[in-house]
Amino acid sequence: MALLSKQERRHFPDWDDPTECIYHRVAIDLEACDGCKLCTLVCPANVLEIYRNENGKKKARVKASQRGCISCNNCRAICATGAIGATQANDFVGYYRQLGRGEFALPRKF
Amino acid sequence: MVKLNVAEARDEDPEQIEAEAGRVSKIIEVPEGAEWNAVEQVMLQRRSIRKYKRHQVAPHLIRRMLEMGRYAPSQGNCQPWKFVVVRDAAMIQGMEDFCVGECKKLSRGLDYVNYPKGSAKHFVTRAKAKLFNRLQPNLLHPVPVTVLSAIAEGRFAVFHRAPTVIFLLMDKRGIGTPEIDIGICGTNIVLAAQSLGLGTCWVGFSKFLNQSREWCARLGAEPPYEITEAITVGYPVGEPTRLIARDTHEIAWFEGGKKDILY
Repeated sequence: MALLSKQERRHFPDWDDPTECIYHRVAIDLEACDGCKLCTLVCPANVLEIYRNENGKKKARVKASQRGCISCNNCRAICATGAIGATQANDFVGYYRQLGRGEFALPRKF
Repeated sequence: MVKLNVAEARDEDPEQIEAEAGRVSKIIEVPEGAEWNAVEQVMLQRRSIRKYKRHQVAPHLIRRMLEMGRYAPSQGNCQPWKFVVVRDAAMIQGMEDFCVGECKKLSRGLDYVNYPKGSAKHFVTRAKAKLFNRLQPNLLHPVPVTVLSAIAEGRFAVFHRAPTVIFLLMDKRGIGTPEIDIGICGTNIVLAAQSLGLGTCWVGFSKFLNQSREWCARLGAEPPYEITEAITVGYPVGEPTRLIARDTHEIAWFEGGKKDILY
């Protein structure tokens, strides 16, 4: 039995439909973020930017209109304060639906 | 049928031979939950680095990395690779310009997100993209399409302005599936680089250069060779060392007459 239904195999997600291409699962701890800007530099999808909050402090955020976060976690790797990171893998509907994935986890020691 | 000379060895117990020779190798015990060793640490800390310092990498370090590539396993030991190292900024820029041009053409022709929803251009481009998507589902995955458009808009560089670019050329006559051997060879190179404090990134978009007769001639990517991958090399900006989360994947485990599913 195929793991994708016939309907799924024939359906290619719309690139501009956020319910079909699921990106942007980045969480930012605004207390810990010191606005150093390195995450915006290393993001391959270019979805991060720096803004000034109500107190005039620089903070990182996900851009409103950008698609493409692939949960690579380059932002997390470079963040000195551990304030930012993808919390979930990306996923797609139809033909590209992710199969056989478990939870999103740090390296585990066995 | 080719007859292999294995008849005499067939019934012999390898462990008995080892014992008779008095050369029994030791089994290294690794306790459960042991710290990562140096190689594992390198594998866990490797990131795809796309922002580099201007500082050029010393030539002997590139040679060191390629030496590890040379020792990669390959099908039938066919070693279907040829390395091309480019360290001239002007030449890298020339290749960048060519690839960006190709990305612009493709992005304009296929990425309907560039056009307002409801417009005729959106409708026509989307219809074309859906057809191409069906024909080339690996190439037109939503992720590379976003990268394609980011390159076309100048938000993303193909070769990441790296000081050194290594091309992995594949001998298409390689045994079995030479693409896999190129991948294994490149993995050796990339991990060696990480262990030397260098950052690397695989650049699949480098394959666009195969479409330019001029670049192929210059890089030596002429039949039976073709550009399969490029690896950018340089010193990473910042310290991308924090360990990160990744997907876990289903593991089917057959043992003791039963099957378990692990993650």
